[in-house]
Amino acid sequence: MKTEKKSVIAELHEQSLQKQETFIKHIANRLGREQPLTTPPKRSVSGAVDSWRTHTLDPEERISQFLMNWESLGGSAVRLADMAEAKNYLDRLIGEMKAKKIIREDHPELAQIVSESPDLHLTVWGDKDFAAMRKAAAEAEIGIVMADFAIANTGTLVITSTPQRGRSLSLLPTIFVGIVKAKDIQTKMGDVLSVIQTWNGKEMPAGIHFVSGPSRSADIESDLTIGVHGPSIVHALVIG
Amino acid sequence: MGGFNPAVKLEERIRQALNDEFLRNAVKFTTGRLRSSKQQAAEQMGNWEEWRERGRQIRLHTIAHLDYYLNQFVQNLREAGGYVHFASTAQEAVEIAMQIMEEKQAKSVVKSKSMVSEELHLNDAMAAKGIEPVETDLGEYIIQLAGETPSHILAPAIHKNRQQIADLFSEIGGEKLPADTAVLAGFARSQLREKFLQADIGMTGCNFAIAESGSFVLFSNEGNARMCSTVPRTQITLMGMERIIPSWEDLEVMAAILPRAATGQKLTVYMSAINGPKRAADGDGPDELHVIILDNGRSQQLGDPEFQEVLNCIRCGACLNACPVYRHIGGHAYGWVYSGPIGAVLTPLLNEDQDQWGEVANASSLCGACYEACPVKIPLHDMLVYLRRRNVEAGRTDATERLGMKTYKVAVSSQRFYQLALKLGQFGQKPLARNGEITAKVGPLEAWNRLRVAPALAKKSFRDSWKELDMELQHELVELKPETKARMEAILRKRGNSHEN
Amino acid sequence: MKVSLFATCLSDAFYPRVTEAMARLLARYGIRLDFPSAQTCCGQPAFNSGYWDEAKGAALQLIDAFADSDFVIAPSGSCIGMIHHHYPSLFKDDPAGLAKARALAEKSYEFTQFLVNVLDVKDVGAKFPHRVTYHPSCHGARLLGVKDEPLELLQHVHGLELLPLPFAEDCCGFGGTFSIKLSEVSAAMVTEKAEHVIDTQAEVLVGLDMGCLMNIGGRLRHQGTSIRVMHLAELLYEGVCRADGRI
Repeated sequence: MKTEKKSVIAELHEQSLQKQETFIKHIANRLGREQPLTTPPKRSVSGAVDSWRTHTLDPEERISQFLMNWESLGGSAVRLADMAEAKNYLDRLIGEMKAKKIIREDHPELAQIVSESPDLHLTVWGDKDFAAMRKAAAEAEIGIVMADFAIANTGTLVITSTPQRGRSLSLLPTIFVGIVKAKDIQTKMGDVLSVIQTWNGKEMPAGIHFVSGPSRSADIESDLTIGVHGPSIVHALVIG
Repeated sequence: MGGFNPAVKLEERIRQALNDEFLRNAVKFTTGRLRSSKQQAAEQMGNWEEWRERGRQIRLHTIAHLDYYLNQFVQNLREAGGYVHFASTAQEAVEIAMQIMEEKQAKSVVKSKSMVSEELHLNDAMAAKGIEPVETDLGEYIIQLAGETPSHILAPAIHKNRQQIADLFSEIGGEKLPADTAVLAGFARSQLREKFLQADIGMTGCNFAIAESGSFVLFSNEGNARMCSTVPRTQITLMGMERIIPSWEDLEVMAAILPRAATGQKLTVYMSAINGPKRAADGDGPDELHVIILDNGRSQQLGDPEFQEVLNCIRCGACLNACPVYRHIGGHAYGWVYSGPIGAVLTPLLNEDQDQWGEVANASSLCGACYEACPVKIPLHDMLVYLRRRNVEAGRTDATERLGMKTYKVAVSSQRFYQLALKLGQFGQKPLARNGEITAKVGPLEAWNRLRVAPALAKKSFRDSWKELDMELQHELVELKPETKARMEAILRKRGNSHEN
Repeated sequence: MKVSLFATCLSDAFYPRVTEAMARLLARYGIRLDFPSAQTCCGQPAFNSGYWDEAKGAALQLIDAFADSDFVIAPSGSCIGMIHHHYPSLFKDDPAGLAKARALAEKSYEFTQFLVNVLDVKDVGAKFPHRVTYHPSCHGARLLGVKDEPLELLQHVHGLELLPLPFAEDCCGFGGTFSIKLSEVSAAMVTEKAEHVIDTQAEVLVGLDMGCLMNIGGRLRHQGTSIRVMHLAELLYEGVCRADGRI
């Protein structure tokens, strides 16, 4: 059974390689070329408008703009001096929310600030198999990750997926806590994308998630509602 | 398949829509809301026009070199471990998708919003094979339960009211639910959570595909696109072949204009870039990733100077919100997958049967609001005229209209016949005209006069009174101010110069 | 210098008073006007319905009629928009026709464009002590870009109270043959527009295109309201006469 299954996908792949030639050639023909273009076309403009490219805030402005924008999207945002303060913040949050199950990224700095107790079941990402981890994330009240970047202009946390940091962490729990270092807050999306661009072809993570506030929908009579599929309560902690 | 009956003609679909009071009010309310928040967001960004032009330039360049960028995207995605499939027709795409699903022995497939999936009528094909398609966008979920099709790109259940939704949910929940948004959304969340966790395959659309890395990007507010690309072990992504952008830096422009044009947000809650299947050591994400690239009539627009630009569309829905016709008739009256001005253009272009679909191009007053709203400046109002010309050239308009236009040509192509037509009109209207007005519902005035009063031809046309007026004006004429004269002469000189150059 | 009036077929046949008001107003600035009687229609009804051959017949007639003119002025942004925006596509396969079409486009002006941008007149010295609301016609505003000129002129009219029209930029539903072909949608649109006009409590509705004004006015009239519907040229000229003490 198993070998036969594989062959269907392999067959589709073979078909695709053949089909690609005619498919792309047809496009080239329609565009007035006999053969598909194989050299990169010259571009007169690319990326953001010129006035925006040079737009840069100083580090303090970035922090305050990020905090303000995240709050205006319906999230909670706070600036903390260090991870010790983050621990206090989390302890308070866990207490207030009466959380019983939490899940966190496997990150050395997070190990210091979240710990298991008799009343609190903690799962660290990567401990278990796929199904068990997914179940743990779906059952957790709080998911905690370190974000790679934040974007001041849009109030966004940027989170890549890694073996230590599953996509589910920032998605399945009801409450999401994203921690970002002050130095990692960029002015605008382009500043983050130019870093991502350097990952092309080598270290590209399988998922890069830009998160701006709580999950929302306006599909019922245009009435805004929060927490449709993703977390409904989102905390951003800026450290430093 | 409520709202989708190709046997019904445009006029009848419109009549049905106009008679649905709730629909009309709901559509007006939501489009109005989306429109006003768009204006606010556009203002925050400084020069919106500059961004629009940049968006247009990026899309124009990409489509003009689509062969190169598509190959580049495909190669990079394969290197990242993804499978890519090509489908020239909707039928081919369905076959490929079904083969993958059957190979995975899928019983249920969770889907996030994809207009391409609607184009394929994939849900019908899945149901026929006993595979359960689950729409997970809240609006799509609602209309799937109701057995209908989306009526707005962004707000698919715009035509359903809260009570209707509560009734639908109560039926599947087996208990009476109140018509409260939070309760209903919570119910959908828990229902769909179960579906996500059980699903064998996650299916998504594709907002943008980045050629230089083989990545594709999904925008969503609810998080269902993230769920579909995180939870199930296999992911299938449906992508129109024109969804490409060259590079990450171009994504900044698309991310700036798409949410702003669509809902007035600076950015959607989630923007996810997917780069192949999960890495070996990753704890979640799909093991297997398939991207099906669909043509389905799109390549026919390439190389056509009148329509190539329609492929620049980024499916934001701004033209729907701006369109006064859409606001009155809603999405279903357009009859196919895409509605509003973009639908009135795409429907005849992507469908073969022009006898059925050609007339959709008439569903516009050509006011140009769509063009003004479009974040990549597609001249939809011009394209609608080109499509109408095609209908005329192919003899698809009715005989009365053709005769009318022939007569018009005779009348306007010569001064003599034009004046004769005027005289005939002035004479012919005599029994009907009263105080410069005609109220009788006769001939072509029948529809007009049902709700309006028509003007009568003036007893004396301007041309007939000109001689007298001219003499009077000449008699009183003051001297042209020297500075005005100089300005006018400068304009004439400038014109002359530009001709010489 | 030859400055020609393009009456437009609608004003020529139905609303001669509009073209007359425009001519009288322009004459006050020493503009010697001419009316080439070979002019008929810009071709838009046929063009928009897809009958390009028929539209070309009209366009050629118009091009010839104004061949000797240096400036062509019409009381309609829609007809001038047709010349500017659509004549080039109408003659795209006919280089000789295209050159002539471009030449006409270059010298054609909508009335307020000419008044404000060429004659540099913003205040015509009119007095019009009424509540007025303004409907910006789609083609004039969007195809031709005439947005500020009429407002500038209105703002300088003494005694005039300009009331903002809600959803002013929404189409009134005329759209030429659209109002016949999809008459029910058109009717729904004009009904909404008329309601917005009534809501302003204006005494006068003013605009730049008789097509739209015929539509909205026809609806207002059908509803039995007493709101006066005027082209801006009429309003300004009446205002000038009032200021001069002639009425």
